[in-house]
Amino acid sequence: MSMHWHAPTPPATTSIDLRIEAAPLLAPWNEFLVRPAAVAVHRWGQDACPAEAAEHACPVRVVSIPIQRPAVRVSSFTFPEAKMPAVPEAERREPSAQPHPIGPPLSHTRIKPPGDIIKLADRLHYVLQPSLESLLAEGSLSFPFRPFPFQFEGVAFLYPRQAAVLADEMGLGKTMQAITAIRFLLHRHEVRSVLLVCPKPLVTNWQREFGVWAPEVPLMVIEGDQAKRTWQWSLADVPLRIANYELLLRDRKLLTGPAPGGDGDESAPGVHFDLVVLDESQRIKNRFSSTNEVVRSISRKRNWALTGTPVENSADDLLGIFEFLAPGFLSAEMKPRSLGRTIRDYVLRRTKDEVLRDLPPKLLHDEALELTAEQRESYRLAEEEGVVHLTELGAAATIRHVFELVLRLKQICNFDPPTGASTKFERLEANLEEIADSGRKAIVFSQWVVTLQRLAEQLDRFGPLEYHGRVPQHRRDGIIEHFRQDPSKHVLLMSYGAGGVGLNHQFVNYVFLFDRWWNPAVEDQAINRAHRIGVDGPVTVMRYLMLDTIEERIDRILQEKRDLFDIIFSGAEGRRKLGLTQEELFGLFRLKCPSEPIDVAA
Amino acid sequence: MSNMDAKLKPALGFLTVVEHPQYGLFGGYLVLNIAGRPLEFHCTAPIKPNRAQEILYGPTLPSFLYGEQIGQTLIQQATTVPLLVCTDQEPALAAREYSSMPVVLVLPPNGETGGAGETVEPQAAGDRSQVVRVDAAHHGPRLVTFALGRNRLALPEPAKEDRGLVTARLAELADSFDLAEPFQRIRAAIEEAQQAVR
Repeated sequence: MSMHWHAPTPPATTSIDLRIEAAPLLAPWNEFLVRPAAVAVHRWGQDACPAEAAEHACPVRVVSIPIQRPAVRVSSFTFPEAKMPAVPEAERREPSAQPHPIGPPLSHTRIKPPGDIIKLADRLHYVLQPSLESLLAEGSLSFPFRPFPFQFEGVAFLYPRQAAVLADEMGLGKTMQAITAIRFLLHRHEVRSVLLVCPKPLVTNWQREFGVWAPEVPLMVIEGDQAKRTWQWSLADVPLRIANYELLLRDRKLLTGPAPGGDGDESAPGVHFDLVVLDESQRIKNRFSSTNEVVRSISRKRNWALTGTPVENSADDLLGIFEFLAPGFLSAEMKPRSLGRTIRDYVLRRTKDEVLRDLPPKLLHDEALELTAEQRESYRLAEEEGVVHLTELGAAATIRHVFELVLRLKQICNFDPPTGASTKFERLEANLEEIADSGRKAIVFSQWVVTLQRLAEQLDRFGPLEYHGRVPQHRRDGIIEHFRQDPSKHVLLMSYGAGGVGLNHQFVNYVFLFDRWWNPAVEDQAINRAHRIGVDGPVTVMRYLMLDTIEERIDRILQEKRDLFDIIFSGAEGRRKLGLTQEELFGLFRLKCPSEPIDVAA
Repeated sequence: MSNMDAKLKPALGFLTVVEHPQYGLFGGYLVLNIAGRPLEFHCTAPIKPNRAQEILYGPTLPSFLYGEQIGQTLIQQATTVPLLVCTDQEPALAAREYSSMPVVLVLPPNGETGGAGETVEPQAAGDRSQVVRVDAAHHGPRLVTFALGRNRLALPEPAKEDRGLVTARLAELADSFDLAEPFQRIRAAIEEAQQAVR
């Protein structure tokens, strides 16, 4: 459209010469006044202009200023729902009966597209969706308890991602978040077959959690003999399967070979999943392990990893997990800070301090204790003998020799072998007296079953229960329930390996680390079994540390590992070199390190 | 519902304009079904009025840009005909002149002005502290505000007859439908589109 501006027609002018006569004065300039004075009166107006005057007017130049309306460029996106029939009247919800999807939920969690989605239309697909809470309500997905806003954020993080690590600190509900994300994908028909892999002791826990958070999702636990498992893997239309890591190794051929019950096509993948979720994914941190290899070989479209400890020992742990999630995405040459930046869009890590400000506090007490005289003597002898032995071995000394010595010394820190004297036990006993008197419960962690058994004998009056590798799997759930229900049972004796992951003990207010594990992540897991959502009061954590012993030296190394974690997940500047090096291990005994490569302790 | 209403898709249109200091105005139009799911999204390339437009349109420039240039174009681009169009930008109400559907202004939920049936003076778009003219001749029409469910809405006085239509068409949704929420989505989408272009 254009508009032209035209100057208005010039007004006509009428001039009247009054020709007033002026009387000349007798002055030298009279001659200049011969022209009579004249006064002209101009009257402006359309009708006042004689035609001839208009004819003599100067032509007026017209300037046109275009006011164009340029075409507006529009980008358009149409969504699949536009092609679907309108929502039938019968299916519309009564607003008063249930909140409308766009209604005012307590939080509006937006689903943000992950960075690896490039196409604008695909990104808008997520950006323009209603809040996650609205979508869940729309699908009539109810919850037994109202999730925390940060848990909705976790679901919104997982949902659009092909590869993701949910690395929340223990106790923040990774299980619930993963279940809700899986449930959501299943309801929206974005996935049809999901495989969840977890450590064997946690299978029951996952089953129970699905029953609570997604009771309508049919699931199948892969178990039984070979024939049964073959049949289970071959079934179509099973939305969710749960399997343990050990079983995957046994069923490797079924998973990766020709489809079970298929037509024998050797090239066809065995079983395909739309989503594979690995719980406690630190199990595949070693990228050269059989477990890592077998999970990587499973045919899948999406993959998520759940872990509270994505880095246990070194940055290499993350490489193992990412070899499953996005092969080749990370390289071993990456520095921790660069690694942290690279994985930022793939990893969601929150701590309780960040998101659960109302959670009762976790009170850490490091109790530095002196060895008894008997322990000190045994310790001195063992250390001297061990160091002498290592020195004699010289270049032949291996990391195994060092570990043997470390373990022996740590055991003396627990109990003096010949006399049974133990400062730690004395402290524990005193602490448990107080706990039992107040009707509270405690968990005691140790890395040795023999230590736990010894404690069980000596703590009989506190009603100890044992939960460790020598307790048959089928009895373990019953033990936890017994401990929870029986008020006379005040102490649960657990090994780090059996009790550190996947169990919830919100009814426990005291955690004792009778001896220290090799890495802080495992210790944190153990502590967080009790300090988690639902805990009914502060959780006190007592860490026993024997002064001037190997425990004190190991504690310094554990602190370095915590530093490594901070660098990768918080972008903080590292203070010292990372991990447990061979030099450091030998350095525990002031020995020179041989050149043999080591396999760092788990 | 009238016969005409029965033909309309049970959808709502949401129109907004985002002003970028460098690039100008971006228009966005989102059509949602009654479940709040997106059906269509249309957005404009940035529009910047030239000097001549600024001078000659004067205070009517925002309604020309928001309502005619952006609003009209976007609404016509959509294939889905919604029950009504909501906007959170007062000048975009001018799109009503080019649309067969009511165009209603969604007011902030806790705003201080307006109550049921109350009229308020319109505000100039853009820098609202800048007074361009003191004579009221070029201001937009007065607004008639009213509450519908949990939403506070307004219509220009000349279009106040639309109120009955708006009330009827939002009758089932007004209590639970937060009409202000979809504008956040449009802004986020425009932001995404800008980033994609850069």
